Amino acid sequence: MRLQGKTAVITGGAQGIGRAIALGLAREGASVVIADLQGGKAEAAAGETRALGVQALAVETDVASERSVDNLAGQALGRFNQIDILVNDAGIFPQARVTEMSEDDWDRVLDVNLGGNFLCCRAFAPSMRAQKSGRIISIASGIAHTGGIAGAHYAASKAGIVGFIKALARELGPDGITANAICPNIINTELPRSHRTAAELHERLIRNPLGHAMEPEDLVGTILFLASDAARYITGQAVNVNCGTVMI
Amino acid sequence: MSEVALVTGGGNGIGHAVALKLAAEGIAVEIVDWDEKGAAEACREIRTRGGRADAARVDVRRSAEVKAAVARVVERHGRLDILANIAGGAIHRKRIEELSWAEWKEVLDINLKGTFLFCREAAPIMIGQKRGRIVNTASNYGVTGSPLRTPYSASKAGIIGFSKSLALELAPYGVLVNVVAPGPTDTPRVLEGWDPELRQKRAAEIPLGRNGTPEDMAEAFYFLTSAASACMTGQTLHVNGGWVTP
Repeated sequence: MRLQGKTAVITGGAQGIGRAIALGLAREGASVVIADLQGGKAEAAAGETRALGVQALAVETDVASERSVDNLAGQALGRFNQIDILVNDAGIFPQARVTEMSEDDWDRVLDVNLGGNFLCCRAFAPSMRAQKSGRIISIASGIAHTGGIAGAHYAASKAGIVGFIKALARELGPDGITANAICPNIINTELPRSHRTAAELHERLIRNPLGHAMEPEDLVGTILFLASDAARYITGQAVNVNCGTVMI
Repeated sequence: MSEVALVTGGGNGIGHAVALKLAAEGIAVEIVDWDEKGAAEACREIRTRGGRADAARVDVRRSAEVKAAVARVVERHGRLDILANIAGGAIHRKRIEELSWAEWKEVLDINLKGTFLFCREAAPIMIGQKRGRIVNTASNYGVTGSPLRTPYSASKAGIIGFSKSLALELAPYGVLVNVVAPGPTDTPRVLEGWDPELRQKRAAEIPLGRNGTPEDMAEAFYFLTSAASACMTGQTLHVNGGWVTP
């Protein structure tokens, strides 16, 4: 168990990719704090991780709210004293073309996806600095590199995460904290399922050089690597986990 | 059945650390190196620790030697799961107008052609197995460039482009091809050639405040050979303490 004695905060940890990450971290022995807008689902996910023998705390959190994120940090640090790993996964993707995109659409996507990264990193960086260690891992997207139709706000927010993480890595590196992003391709979660038939979804999921339909669990290996001592010298990087779709 | 790896440049520096790491993970390792003594020493180290290793002297520029090296592994183990191309180096630090054609060729051949030759021999075996991992070695200089290192930068950028194309060629067969791009790494060869003061100055420019170690690099190589990276191909993993963030 590579993460025995460590504690991780996972935003968006109640379902999909975040939930898979929380379970993956727990399987390696890490205690987890599951932060999610959906408090009930966060509690259910916390229960699942407890069943793996680790401590877990669910905190209903809006990552785009300063007050809510401060509450998350207060509760997480109050309960566990030390947060070793922060995984920023909370994100939204309401589809809209730029010409039909409202200012509210734009603000909400940027506030949650990118602003949430800022607020959560700002909230947990001081304690990581004090303990001279920490791992920050943000879920960006291959769309940061390629763009995509009906998702300009999403692409901007995800590319923003990559830039933000690179800058943050330089700021926090001297204190022994690493910050990296993961850029996945489309993954079989509720979001892509919501507007496709099963056949359309499958065709879309396997459209990559390896012909593999990525599940949330497929990101866990990279998360565990970046969270572990093995990746101690890797920071400021955007790691593409995408079955070869984008090679940058 | 346990896995089998071939590590070029395994007698020294990063290659040595990779060979030891893979062996420590239970993988049988064939070490090839221009430096016969280094390869034999690495082999002894692994065996002393209870691992499985063999060693051979190979000039990665010579296709007959490469062919024979891969054939030996297959003869010995009946398979080849992992190829780590690490042999290489930043020799001939010179301004372009002082660089001879022979020197240019030497750098390109050791770094880029050697990688091509080993991949060409290993690919059919891995395709036949429907499984395989190739990890090639670039450098942050392949992305950023560096004065006095034009052939080295060209060879390392070449390895990145080559690996992307090979990843696409081999993806249908479940063979993954990725690249580790080390930053400044304290290998014995680098430590010997570097002014310690300059080295300190460099370390201060790196966000994590130190140069890399061969062991730091070995972890990234191992990750890219393991199940944890099963959805990665054609990618370049930069291991440089945050110095270069492309």
